[in-house]
Amino acid sequence: MSTIYAAIEIGTSRTVLAVGSGEAGERLNVTCHAHIPSAGVVKSQIINVSQAAQSVKAVIRSARDSQHAKGTNLSIVNAFLVVSGQHVVCEPFQSVVSIAHGKVENDDIEQVSRKARTMALGRDRELVDVFEQTYSVDELAGIASPLGMSGSLLKLNTLQLHAPADRINDAYTAAGEAKLALREPLFAATCAAEAVLDENEKNLGSLVLDLGGGSTGYAVYSGGVVAAAGAIGIGGDHITNDIQTAFLCTRGQAEALKTTEASAILGRTGLGARITLDGTAPGGEARTISRKALDTVTNARCRELAAIVRATLEDLGLLHRLGTGIVLTGGGAYLEGMATLFERELGAAVRIGNPVNVNGLEDAEEPASFAAIAGALICAHRAYEEKSLWQSIKSTVKGFMK
Amino acid sequence: MTATSSLLLVGVGGAGARMAKRIVDSFPGDIRRLIVDSDAKSAQEDEGAEFALIGGERLAGKGSGGDVITARIATEESFAQIKRHLEGVSFAVIATGLGGGTGCGATLSLLEEFTDLGITSIVFATTPFSFEGEERHRNSRGSISMISERANASFFLALDKLVGEADYVEEAMANAVNALSSAVTLFWRLIEKPGYIHLDLERIRRLSLNAGRGRFATVRVSGDNRTYHALQELTSSTLLADGSHDVRSIICGILAGDDLRLAEIGELASGVRAAYGDKAAFEIATVNDESSFGGELCVVLMLFESKVKEEHLAKTSRSRRAKSAKGVLAKPATGFPDGSDRTIINGEDLDVPTYARMGLTLDL
Repeated sequence: MSTIYAAIEIGTSRTVLAVGSGEAGERLNVTCHAHIPSAGVVKSQIINVSQAAQSVKAVIRSARDSQHAKGTNLSIVNAFLVVSGQHVVCEPFQSVVSIAHGKVENDDIEQVSRKARTMALGRDRELVDVFEQTYSVDELAGIASPLGMSGSLLKLNTLQLHAPADRINDAYTAAGEAKLALREPLFAATCAAEAVLDENEKNLGSLVLDLGGGSTGYAVYSGGVVAAAGAIGIGGDHITNDIQTAFLCTRGQAEALKTTEASAILGRTGLGARITLDGTAPGGEARTISRKALDTVTNARCRELAAIVRATLEDLGLLHRLGTGIVLTGGGAYLEGMATLFERELGAAVRIGNPVNVNGLEDAEEPASFAAIAGALICAHRAYEEKSLWQSIKSTVKGFMK
Repeated sequence: MTATSSLLLVGVGGAGARMAKRIVDSFPGDIRRLIVDSDAKSAQEDEGAEFALIGGERLAGKGSGGDVITARIATEESFAQIKRHLEGVSFAVIATGLGGGTGCGATLSLLEEFTDLGITSIVFATTPFSFEGEERHRNSRGSISMISERANASFFLALDKLVGEADYVEEAMANAVNALSSAVTLFWRLIEKPGYIHLDLERIRRLSLNAGRGRFATVRVSGDNRTYHALQELTSSTLLADGSHDVRSIICGILAGDDLRLAEIGELASGVRAAYGDKAAFEIATVNDESSFGGELCVVLMLFESKVKEEHLAKTSRSRRAKSAKGVLAKPATGFPDGSDRTIINGEDLDVPTYARMGLTLDL
């Protein structure tokens, strides 16, 4: 029997909802997805709960209408929350337990994992996600699977992602107003990675950059685990703002220039060309701007972002561990020249990450912009499978003990 | 007006003030110098120096508390006062220690103002010891790229390397200052006591204009085969070993007494060029100072790795764009709602359009 999951992202530029279903051990199918422009969100943080609630209602309505058109009734009562933004902080944490019977058993592994997930955070912080890295048994480190190893102490290295509890609560409040119960928060960049990376890429080293409207999330994989994750407070909105400021145009015009005309790299042919602004300019006359100037503004911001990403990876000692390169997801991945720019600035192969690890998004427009929400469904599906597996193991063990 | 009056040594922040004092003490001549700090105590470091206290009422002479942004704003606010000390200056050598608020923040603001005033700038900045706190390292890391962009030439020197193998604090700091002062005072020595090969201030200034980020080392040797020993020490110096790019230009200063031979100059020139690339632009100059270097040979070698100023990083009018009429770091239009959290990374307000911060001219 299929289990159904839903996930929602109340992003800076748009609110996205997706529903998926899958049977244990099978690939997940995205059965429905919808998105609408967001309101009340700045830099990945809700600044107007009422407006955000309207966005949630609107996206649920949009999803319901699209399913209704297909002759299906859709009722969503709860959804996993996808979060991003610079307010999400990543820190390493090591949990330690005594090995109960001299050799590591499943219970020890479960206990050390549970301990990592119940680490005491400050009252104002909420745990977003925990990524298990490697185990140590006594002094022996770097162990991928400690089951059956002898020792007295079992340690688990993890990365803990946490965010201000108030910011998460704002999302719960907005969703609550729209009569949608939210489940656990999940981090957008690592969700996106689940949708776009294969196991080989996770092992050999890969960077996923989730280029959102309010921020850019990153997740670095190496040796099959999340080596680093976090967010940089620059997103597509910064490019729009720069264009708006440079050319004194409306926000709509700036957004249109960004998505249809701008390039992240300089040196395109036809730089002498001029672009006519859509709609009426503030002065009331149709205006044209220079393509060269538009590219200069866009390139400056994108290069700055790339430089920060590079510096971040250098600080973490991960820049040269991207064996399989960089994968761009999110709406920003479709900005012309963005992949080339990151290729030049970080010296690694770059591709746009379509969510290949799920079915159902093959025909979506700009599929990489659905990578995070698709990955959230994968994470939900996996968590359900793991929970089922543990319950199955426990009942088997109890059966033997009888 | 003396030959060196257009050359100014600027010590920025507490560490910069101390460095400037020690540099001046190691030099027999007169060095015009200015101390810029947010802490009034630095005025007592060097009574012969001009002093500009930044921050006025905002900081009340008590320092910036390690806050880079505060120090930048304080410098912007105090620049009218600083400007009074810059009359006739065409070339500034800045000594500072990165890590604290004033060392990082004030240096950045000063460099922007110097650019607008047409003052050529060379920065000698130390970076914190490895055992110092993460915040100081973060401030330092964040400032390096911005200083590199804004200065005409810049040197970043890890204190860990500068102090050598000294055990005691005083010895360690003396080692660091000795290494620094030979390089910093080279500019004054070249002008005051030129030797066989002369390099005037305008030539030095022009050489520095697009030099970019560099590294340097100084060696002091005596006795037989001193050029051989000097080259040996230079090529094994850890201070020259960290370059990540090709060397684009080289300045080699030779300081000696009356016993300097032409053959030694030739040997050093060919040895340096062989070691660091004979395709690099090469300038050599000598200082003849019998009282300081009699019987000795001191070589100051500066290697510049790249020309960091690309066309789009042209600096003219950068600070003018970034300031409001009051002279305070402005809050230029960002497109984000008033009151929303600003995106500050490494002391820079990234909500301000990048092209504006870079001072790019848009061909609209």
